[in-house]
Amino acid sequence: MQRISRLKRELQMLSTEPPPGITCWQTEDNVNELRAQIVGGSGTPYESGIFSLEIKIPERYPFEPPNIRFITPIYHPNIDNCGRICLDALKLPPKGAWKPSLNISTVLTSIQLLMAEPNPDDPLMADISSEFKYNKQLFSEKAKKWTLEHAVHKSKVITPHCTAARVSRSTLASEANTHTHPVA
Amino acid sequence: YRDNTRLVFIDTDFRTLRLRANDSSGREHVLTVKLKTKHPTEAPECAADVPVPLVFHWTPQTTLAQLHSQFLQLVESLREFWDVLDEIDQKTWVLEPEKPCRSDAMRRIAIGNNASIKVEVDPRHPKMLPECCLLGADFVFFLVFLCRNPECSVLLNLRDVLEIQFPSPATHEKSSLSVECGICYSFRLDSGIPDQVCNDPRCGQPFHQDCLYQWLRALPSTRQSFNTIFGECPYCSKPITVKMAVQK
Repeated sequence: MQRISRLKRELQMLSTEPPPGITCWQTEDNVNELRAQIVGGSGTPYESGIFSLEIKIPERYPFEPPNIRFITPIYHPNIDNCGRICLDALKLPPKGAWKPSLNISTVLTSIQLLMAEPNPDDPLMADISSEFKYNKQLFSEKAKKWTLEHAVHKSKVITPHCTAARVSRSTLASEANTHTHPVA
Repeated sequence: YRDNTRLVFIDTDFRTLRLRANDSSGREHVLTVKLKTKHPTEAPECAADVPVPLVFHWTPQTTLAQLHSQFLQLVESLREFWDVLDEIDQKTWVLEPEKPCRSDAMRRIAIGNNASIKVEVDPRHPKMLPECCLLGADFVFFLVFLCRNPECSVLLNLRDVLEIQFPSPATHEKSSLSVECGICYSFRLDSGIPDQVCNDPRCGQPFHQDCLYQWLRALPSTRQSFNTIFGECPYCSKPITVKMAVQK
């Protein structure tokens, strides 16, 4: 019951006053799913990229956090190759910090902030994280390359060798096979 | 009984009648009378939108005209009660009930800043100290009417005692007073309105009892004592309590 009234208001707010650099809308075929786009912040390796995200609204929302993952591949210490995001606002207490005072808009803003300021001490991708910590230039170059490859030209098809490279490095390799990035 | 001013409806079986009575403030009241099979030995079944039980004196000799005059007497005795409530309805924003009927003695009046006052007017003593309960940030339950003037209306007394001006339809939009719940983002949820308010005056966030309860009970940090849940306000993290939801 709470879920319906919440979503209605949130979608209304997202369309009338979206946070800067963020768009979010309801998908046509599924009322429980939203799509969002975050524009890569200037001065970050993600600049000029547009990153698509998938938002699934759980049954118990807003008592449970929205389920958000990146659809667009992104090279980031806290985002794995399935697009899953390591952010405390996306998890329930005691592990996480989700509260019903947060909403889709504020959570997307937190993700935008996480893109600009990775948190290498709580990494999801150990390799990228140590690269970010000890060889920032290399990290930056790679992240820019990924942005250019996946987030800039939306019509670009993800190349097979690229996916394979990420999967082999991934700690979640087995799951990666079932969660390929559906990039158009 | 064919008096047009008194009889407003009669069904085809001549069993159900509606009688009209106007009180001296010009309000119209309707008494529905259902005649029983053993009429007039058995008293007819009566219904009306009044805040008190309908008790009429009935004998087999009682006429419907006499019944009507008893009803007229009753609504006249309640005239002051309705005067008091009509003044509240016209001059303030009533949050609850949504559409008050003549039998509703309770009003929840918006004060502003998420605060409201719940007033229960006694139908028999409408100008007497009404039962009041303040809801909202840094208010507690209280029942104080020290400097009340028995000559004045309930609304004037409330205004004087609380030293506030009630926001009225003339001065405020209702939307600025019907502040939505911080959890479900709506004002009315299953006919309930957000009546739980964070006691920290800097927060003052309102919640529906059900919303707050559902959130707090799922948290491992929440404590419970008897039917009260102790947790943190989801907005400001200050302590907040909520009574457990009533089993439906």
